[in-house]
Amino acid sequence: MNSLSSYINRNSSDIIAALGQHIELSIIAILITVVLAVPLAVVLIDHRKIGEFFLQVTSVIQTIPSLAILGILIPFVGIGTVPAIIALVLYAIMPVFQNTYAGLTNIDPLLIEAADAFGVSKRFKLFRVQFPLALPMIISGIRIAVVMVIGTATLAALIGGGGLGTYILLGIQTNNNDALIVGAVLSAILALIASALIKVLARASFKRLVIGIGILIVLFGGFAGIKTMLTPKTQTITIAGKMGGEPEVLINMYKDLIQQANPNIHVKLKRNFGGTSFLFKALQNQNIDIYPEFTGTVLQSLVKGHKNVAANATTAYKDAAQALKQQYNLTYLAPMKYQNGYGITVTKAIADKYHLRTFADLAKYPELKAAFDPDFFQQADGYPGLQKAYGLHFNSVRTMEPSLRYEALAKGKVDVTDAYTTDPQIKKYHLILLQDNKSFFPPYQGAPLMRTHFAKKNPTIVKSLNRLAGKITTSEMQEMNYRVTVKHEKAAVVAKDYLNDHHLLDKKGK
Amino acid sequence: MIKLENVTKRYASNDALNNLSLTIKSGELFVLVGPSGSGKTTLLKMINRLNEPTIGNVTIDSADVKSFDIRHLRQNIGYVLQAGALFPNMTVAQNAAIQLETLGWDRQKRDQRVAELLDRVGLRATLFMNRMPSELSGGEAQRVGIVRALAAEPNIVLMDEPFSALDPISKRQLQDLVIQLHRELATTFVFVTHDMSEAIKLADRLAVIHNGTLQQVGVPNEILAKPANAFVATFFDENDTQNIFLNQVVKAGFGQPSTEVGQVLKGTDTIFDWAAQLKTTPDLVIKVEQTTLRPVDLINYLASLEQEAK
Repeated sequence: MNSLSSYINRNSSDIIAALGQHIELSIIAILITVVLAVPLAVVLIDHRKIGEFFLQVTSVIQTIPSLAILGILIPFVGIGTVPAIIALVLYAIMPVFQNTYAGLTNIDPLLIEAADAFGVSKRFKLFRVQFPLALPMIISGIRIAVVMVIGTATLAALIGGGGLGTYILLGIQTNNNDALIVGAVLSAILALIASALIKVLARASFKRLVIGIGILIVLFGGFAGIKTMLTPKTQTITIAGKMGGEPEVLINMYKDLIQQANPNIHVKLKRNFGGTSFLFKALQNQNIDIYPEFTGTVLQSLVKGHKNVAANATTAYKDAAQALKQQYNLTYLAPMKYQNGYGITVTKAIADKYHLRTFADLAKYPELKAAFDPDFFQQADGYPGLQKAYGLHFNSVRTMEPSLRYEALAKGKVDVTDAYTTDPQIKKYHLILLQDNKSFFPPYQGAPLMRTHFAKKNPTIVKSLNRLAGKITTSEMQEMNYRVTVKHEKAAVVAKDYLNDHHLLDKKGK
Repeated sequence: MIKLENVTKRYASNDALNNLSLTIKSGELFVLVGPSGSGKTTLLKMINRLNEPTIGNVTIDSADVKSFDIRHLRQNIGYVLQAGALFPNMTVAQNAAIQLETLGWDRQKRDQRVAELLDRVGLRATLFMNRMPSELSGGEAQRVGIVRALAAEPNIVLMDEPFSALDPISKRQLQDLVIQLHRELATTFVFVTHDMSEAIKLADRLAVIHNGTLQQVGVPNEILAKPANAFVATFFDENDTQNIFLNQVVKAGFGQPSTEVGQVLKGTDTIFDWAAQLKTTPDLVIKVEQTTLRPVDLINYLASLEQEAK
C-alpha cells in the first residue's frame, strides 16, 4: 500500500495526463458513436429489413476481438489516437444503435397512430413523440457504450493511443503491480462515475440534453482549435520507445541531446509505445521519427536473410544497418556500447564457491540447480543451443516466470538462471553475469533507427544522437534501469544525470 | 356527408372489407358496430386515410379523400383512440393541444381553448392542465382524449372503441358526455364499438358489420324491431343487450296500457335512463308508446331478470 501511494505521488502529473487522455479518447469516441448511430436508427425506423441487417452487422463487429480490430486498422490509418478511436466507435455502435433502434421501433403503435391521425409533421413526431419515448432506452444504450468504451480504451495504449492502459501495460511488462493497480482501478472508477453521471443526466429534459451535447461538441471543437493555434509552428519530431524503463531513459537522452543543439525543435516522446513490429511499422508509416532498436532484434526479426547473427558485435551492426538501408530505406545510427542480450547469471556466493567466470566453467558443475524462462528453455537460441555449444547439462532444470527467477536465485532456491544483461535486478541482488566466451548469444546493441529521408533532412539531429555512440556500459545501463524500475526515479532525471556526468550536454562536446 | 362507395380492403390472406357502401350524413352520430375482426375499424380509418381501400372510393362532401393533402385532411378530423392513447411524455394541456400546435395556434390561444374544453368535459382546467397522463384515471384520460379530438373544432370526429377498456360507471358517464357534446356541437361523429348496447344507446343511425360486409343500416329502433338477418338477431341475443331496453320491459308484460299522461321515453331508451329519471323524481310515471310504467315495475322487472339468470 505504501509503495502504491508513493508511486502515485511520484507520477501524479503523468497519471493525471493519462487520465485526461483516457477521458478525451472516450468522449470523442462516444460523441462520434452517437452522431453516427442515432441518426442511422432514425433513418431505418421505417425500413425494418435494412434495420435488422444493421443490427446483425453491429453484432458481428462486436464479436471481433478488439486487438484484432486494432491490428486490422494499423495498415490503413497507422497508429495513435485515430485507430484507437475508430476501434472504440466500432465497439460502441452496437449498444447505441441497438438500443436506439429498439427504443424507436417498440413504441406503442397506438401512440404512433395517434400522432399520425392528428396530422403532425415528421419532425414533430420524431422530436416530440418518438425520441422522448425512446429516450430511456437510448440513454441506457449510451451508458453501456460508455462503460464499454472506458474499459476498451485501455487497449489504446497498445497502439500508442495513450490513456490509462499505458499503466496497465507497463505494469504487466515490468511486473510493477503499482502501475497495474493505478491503471486498472482508475479506469474502473472512471467507468463507474461516467455511468452514474449519465444516470443523473437521463433525468434532465430532452431539450436540455440536446443543448448539453451541442455545447460539449462546440467546446471540444473550440478546445482543439485553440490547441492547434497555440502550438508554435516549429519543427516537431516524435521519438518513441518500447515498453519499460530502459527505452524510456534512452529516448529522454535523445530528447536532451537534440534540444541542446536545436532548442527550436519540439520533441514529443512516446514512452511505452508498444512492441517491436508495432514500432517498426509506426516508423515506416511516419507516425514516429526515431526509436531505439537492438542489432540482434533487427537481424532476427525485422530484416530478411540474417537468421544466423554474426557473433561479432561490430559485424552484426554493419549487417543490420546495411540490410535496413537496402530493404526498408532506413538509417541505423552507430550503436551504444552496452549489450542487452541473453546472459547467464549466478550469485556472487556460487561464483566464488565454484570459481565461475565463463559459460565453459559452468559446464563442469552439472549438479547446479538451473531455472530458465520457458521461452529460453525451449528456443534453439536458448538452453538447447547452449547445451550444444558448451556441453552444458544440468541435472535439474526448471522453467520459471522471468519475474520470479531472480528472487529465487537470490534466496538460494536455484543456482543458475538466464538473464537479460541490463536487468536492474542483477545490480539489486549483486548477481554475477558469466562470460559468453564462445560468443554464443547474438550481440544486442542499441542504436537510434530512423527513415533515411529524415536523417538526410536533419543532419544536426543525427550529429546530436551520434554523441551517444560507443557510450553507456552494460553496468551503467543496469544502474540506470535500477534507478528507474526499482527505485522508481523519473527516467528524465536519470537520463539527464547520465548526460551531465559524462559531459554530453556541454557545448561543442569538449 | 361521408360516402364510402364499394370499398374493398384486401390483405394477403383475406378480405377485411368486401364491396361495402355506406353514407354518413352531416351532423349525425353514426355508429359502426360488429364483433372484433369484422372490419369496422378498418372502415373508420379509411375516412382519415390511416388505411386506404384496395378498391373503391371514400368522399367527404363529394371530394375524394385522396385529393386532400394528407396532413391537412387529418388536421381537420378529430380522432379518439382506445383508452385515450395520450402521449405519456406530455402534460394534459400539451396532449390536448397537439392538433392546435400543428395548426400553428399560439400558446395562449391553445391554453385558452383547452381549458375551456376541459371544463366542458368535467375536468377542472386549473387542476388538470399540468398533470401527466400517468396521474389520470381511465375515465379522465379518455375525457382528455375527447378534448384532444375536439380542440381544433373539426367537422368530423372519429372514435375507435374509445370506452371498451373502462369500468361500467365511467363508461356510462362518458357515453352520456358523447351524446351531450354531439347535441351541442352539431359535428359528425363516427363511433366504432363491438358493444351492441353502447351502439343502441348512442346512435342516431348505426351500421352492423360482420365479416367485412354490411348486414344492416338503420335507426336503433328499426334494427331492434326488425333484424335484417339471423346474424343481427343473434348478435343482440349474444350481447344480452335486449334486456336493458324499455320496449323489452313492455314486452315482458309489465305496466298498464293507458292513455295517462307521463314522462315520455322511447322504447329504445334503457332501464338506466329510466333509473336516472327516478333518481331525481322518485314517483315518476313514464310512458313508453301505449304503456305506462311505474317505479314498482322497474323493481319487479329487475327481479324477474334475476330469476331468469338463476
